Amino acid sequence: MNRRKQKNIFITLCLLPAILLVSIFIFYPTLTVFFMSLFKWGGYSPEKEFVGLDNFKILIKDMMFMRSFQNTILLIVLVTIITLALALIFASILTREKFKGVNFFRVIFYIPNILSIVVIAAIFSAIYDPTSGLLNNLLGMLKLDGLQRMWLGDQKIVIYSIAFALIWQAIGYYMVMYMASMASIPESLYEASSLEGAGAVRQFFDITLPLTWNTIRTTLTFFVISTINLSFLLVKAMTGGGPDGSTEVFLSYMYKQAYTNSSFGYGMAIGVIVFTFSFILSAILNKITEREVYEF
Amino acid sequence: MKKFFGLTSVLILSGLLLGACGSNKKDKTEDTGAADGKQVVKVAALESAYGADMWNKMKDAYEKQNPDVEIELTLDKKIEDVISPNMKAGNFPDVILLATGREAGLTETFIKDKNLEDLTDVISMTVPGEDNKVSDKLIPGFTETLATNPYNDGKTYLMPMFYSPTGLFYNAALLEEKGWEVPETWDEMWELGEKAKKENIALFTYPVAGYMDSFFFSLLSATGGPELFNSTMNYEKGSWDSDKATKAFEIVGKLAEYTAETTVANANQQDFTKNQQLILDNKAIFMPNGTWVPEEMKDAPRADGFKWGMTSLPAENADGDRYSYTFFEQIWMPSGAENKADGKDFIAFMYSDIAADIFKEASAIQPIQGMSDKLDGDNKLFYSIYDDGAKAVMGGFSSAETVEGVNMHDALYGTINSVVSGDKSVDEWQKTVVETAEKLREAAE
Repeated sequence: MNRRKQKNIFITLCLLPAILLVSIFIFYPTLTVFFMSLFKWGGYSPEKEFVGLDNFKILIKDMMFMRSFQNTILLIVLVTIITLALALIFASILTREKFKGVNFFRVIFYIPNILSIVVIAAIFSAIYDPTSGLLNNLLGMLKLDGLQRMWLGDQKIVIYSIAFALIWQAIGYYMVMYMASMASIPESLYEASSLEGAGAVRQFFDITLPLTWNTIRTTLTFFVISTINLSFLLVKAMTGGGPDGSTEVFLSYMYKQAYTNSSFGYGMAIGVIVFTFSFILSAILNKITEREVYEF
Repeated sequence: MKKFFGLTSVLILSGLLLGACGSNKKDKTEDTGAADGKQVVKVAALESAYGADMWNKMKDAYEKQNPDVEIELTLDKKIEDVISPNMKAGNFPDVILLATGREAGLTETFIKDKNLEDLTDVISMTVPGEDNKVSDKLIPGFTETLATNPYNDGKTYLMPMFYSPTGLFYNAALLEEKGWEVPETWDEMWELGEKAKKENIALFTYPVAGYMDSFFFSLLSATGGPELFNSTMNYEKGSWDSDKATKAFEIVGKLAEYTAETTVANANQQDFTKNQQLILDNKAIFMPNGTWVPEEMKDAPRADGFKWGMTSLPAENADGDRYSYTFFEQIWMPSGAENKADGKDFIAFMYSDIAADIFKEASAIQPIQGMSDKLDGDNKLFYSIYDDGAKAVMGGFSSAETVEGVNMHDALYGTINSVVSGDKSVDEWQKTVVETAEKLREAAE
């Protein structure tokens, strides 16, 4: 008997702590959010008024929410495409090309990732400062005064200023990931291809890219999640969603509603949408990037 | 998604942990209560620019007078974050000093949820250790505003504490040096704006758009008297689109043209001091602010001979009234408080001479009659603004109802950034405000 039974008991016992922790700290809170989104509640009073799907009905008509939705999507698209491209290029240069200071650049590129996002906000506020900032002064020095802008004051460009800071801090992280994946590609493939006369660019598209495809796919999900998270932190520290709501993103708007507009239930409804959106977007990205996995 | 998991799990986790701490604490205080028979009053107070020291002195002073009461103080610069988890678990402090108008809006949430203890009886209580009643000591008017009687029903739910006149701050030395007068009407203001423009000085700046609240309250009173102020604060029909309100919007619209160019770019929590620095550097003349600003900017470099000046808002015309909005912090009691009787006694003690002197030492001024005579230095200048003919405006928006996704603060002040940067016209701005007021009024009805 009882070997099998014993084994099962043992497995159950081993899994139990993890299951318990995951249920308490992940499943239960998530379900609570879904549940709370059905109430009108300020956050502190004992009375909660059940309003069904009313919060979601208001949400559809809430122009400020739509604006934060647009901003978030813009950030996800910009940050993903630009970071992905740059990180891949840098990673392949640093792994494939032999030149002095490879390790130095590796460290330099990774540094922004160690910094807290609040520090990054402070750095970029110094860069974007209209009078004493690095960017405007650089443009002035290059006699490009016409390009000087209020980087955090002009509502048409402030969201791009945020995107630039996000890209700056993300490149190093993804670059290191891609480098790890590229390092495992056997050198012989490159040797063979160069004997056939393939240049570096051809090698990148025909060898490096297909063989790192799986890593790239995984990072796409990371891009979605981390852009939603980090854009909130950066916006909170740098612009507070301003000027006049032009940098409001998903989570900053959720925070504003839940904690400063006394509408906790409504905030949770936004949370439900953010949850569903990021889930679905990641699923779609995963599906459309599915390719045959090459072995080497 | 991760953030969202994180946020909720942190909330739950802290709820659990603090809940556990809370119950421990409760056990402990019950134990000590049994041991030496002391009543415990839990007091949570915002540690603002006035510092934490005065609260510790208050605790000692009150315990000295009432040996059988123990004050349990919680002080923090972000007191909302410290007490919220415990309150979500149902553990409320007995007395909370936290004003409305803070970013987290905790006090507003309690008002909207009708979660406050009625403090009307405190006003007629005798101040502990004195013969006077609380009402005899308070400056009249302070307990008749929407900031103290939020439901407009004659009952006081929040007691007024440290008050601070607000107005336009400027460098008095700069005006003296240039031979410019402090404008008394808006026409004089625009004249000054033109003169300053020629010298490359902006007429106006603001730290963040939220600082326009006191400015706008005073402005509404100046263009339409207290009637307009009260009707707009209650979102009454036809108030925000009345001619007199339109006048106020237009004045801000014109002021936007004279606002320092870099103001909007720096009008955020991280960079707002750069806007305040414009005044110190003589690059802008006026900014709306409160009496805390000299302390806040005390280490900043400044123009030679810099001297703080403060004036009330200009009048609409030569025989119009001038107004200055008085900001005051509030002390209140959540309905969930356990020790209500002692808590109220502690609140009444706030208005005793002993308390007022302790607070005054830290520059925190109570709305007690005769206090302004005891002041010196910059404070004397600031608090004497009403002696020079300016009328006081007090209170603020009625915060009786929550409307999801609708926020008057954002509509009225946040949009000013767009008006200054030229992204929205004054008309559009006013329309947004009128619509917002409409939604809030409908919800209240």
